[in-house]
Amino acid sequence: MGLKNVKLVAIFIGLLLGMSNVFAADTSVATAKQVVDKFQSELIAVMKNGKQLGFTGRYDKLHDSVANSHDLNKIARIVVGKEWEKLSEEQQKKLVDVFSRLSIAAYAHNFKEYGGEAFTIDSEEETTRGGVVVYAHLSIPNDKDVKFEYHLKETDKSWRIINIVANGVSDLALKRSEYTSVLQRAGFDTLIAKINEKIDNYSKL
Amino acid sequence: MNKRHSGNSKRLNTSLIALIGALSLGGCATTSVEHQTIASKDDPYESINRNMFTFNDTVDGYLVKPMSDTYKWVTPQFVQTGIFNFFNNLKNVDVIINDVLQAKFAQSAEDTGRLIVNSTIGLGGLVDVAKDVGLKQNDEDFEQTLAVWGVPRGPYLVLPLLGPTTARGISGAVLDTAANPASYVGAPIQLVSWLNTRANAQGSLDFVQEGALDPYVFIREGYLQTRDYLASDGKSQAALDVDNELDDNKVVVKNDSAASNKANHTLRLSSAEQTADSFNGVTRSFDETTKSFENANNKIDELAKQRNSNKLQKAK
Repeated sequence: MGLKNVKLVAIFIGLLLGMSNVFAADTSVATAKQVVDKFQSELIAVMKNGKQLGFTGRYDKLHDSVANSHDLNKIARIVVGKEWEKLSEEQQKKLVDVFSRLSIAAYAHNFKEYGGEAFTIDSEEETTRGGVVVYAHLSIPNDKDVKFEYHLKETDKSWRIINIVANGVSDLALKRSEYTSVLQRAGFDTLIAKINEKIDNYSKL
Repeated sequence: MNKRHSGNSKRLNTSLIALIGALSLGGCATTSVEHQTIASKDDPYESINRNMFTFNDTVDGYLVKPMSDTYKWVTPQFVQTGIFNFFNNLKNVDVIINDVLQAKFAQSAEDTGRLIVNSTIGLGGLVDVAKDVGLKQNDEDFEQTLAVWGVPRGPYLVLPLLGPTTARGISGAVLDTAANPASYVGAPIQLVSWLNTRANAQGSLDFVQEGALDPYVFIREGYLQTRDYLASDGKSQAALDVDNELDDNKVVVKNDSAASNKANHTLRLSSAEQTADSFNGVTRSFDETTKSFENANNKIDELAKQRNSNKLQKAK
């Protein structure tokens, strides 16, 4: 086989490999990094149109973004800790529902304006237990960067955010302390009432 | 008490964490939660701390916040920024001392450069020129140094008017006050610094008020996690628990029996006894601080060796 043929074969193999990569990218599920990247882009897009959208508009836009990138069922379950097993099935459903609505409402309230902020993904790392941590930072003009760690787990073949750690403060740990404290001190009904009150306040602010 | 202010919520609330450090007043509490104490190994004096939190909140609502609002109203933004920069620059003296005590020599040179640039070209610290030339500000204090030296954190405490701290935090704050030139100026200037800090914290206080189901717990957790994060130079420890928490809630809170016994013991004490007990904790922390300073030279040498070997390993 002459040199020219070798070259042609090499090019052909190269093309094949390239095509298989394209097909792989098409059929595979989004990686943990892609899930985070998509969520951050959607958040910035909502911020950019925040004023025109209003709270309800932002809530509607973010509903799917949050639901498709976060494992809200699991997060709701973790934040009440051992109390989860003491709840009836109906109470568990109720908790997941109001918790999900509060999470989306909190995003809709806190990310309402755009002032040149930008998310950048820095790196990702696999944990020993099969999870992935995506490291990112938020640049805010004239302010210090905020470092983010997104902790993701694979659920039903898709990567979902389980926890967000911002500048060392774990949202999951903080919520877990709060929710278990309210549950133990005041009971389930008060917890739900307080969550609903927060959702209501967010919509009015 | 309505504490919501739309004006200050412009900044993304993700910067809450940075602001939590500024919560020198216990903040705003919605203290309608029933009084039934839950054992927590980090917060064995929860009952008395909650009372102090409510007290601080009341003082804040009736006295400090109106003063801070007035200050904000009468002071132009550029003056507020100048005042912040001035006190922030003086704090660098404390930062540099603690850089050295933690054997962060390169960082201490950076912070010294910052102090010199801002004190000269920056008109005595009123303008943060160093930021514009790309000299980043490091955050170090004596409490972080004590943490690096291995002094235990001790219980979480809410002090009257001063807000959240820990036993180790009190020792640290005493040393920070001594090492900060701003401590030696007159009371009226101190008051301006204090009002400025309170005014800057409004955004984070609003965030707590808007989002927290239990503001006391929210501030406690945020404070303790932020302090751990700073002491460990960003190696977030809270994040490590996630995998355990995913195990169907079986290992939700790591509660070692000694800590739990201590918490239960504390719960049996009356309010006055709890106060006395917490004072003992602070005294113990002072003792450990004193002891750790006796070995300061050895500690700095050890840390310097550790940092050098870490650097070498990274280089390989």
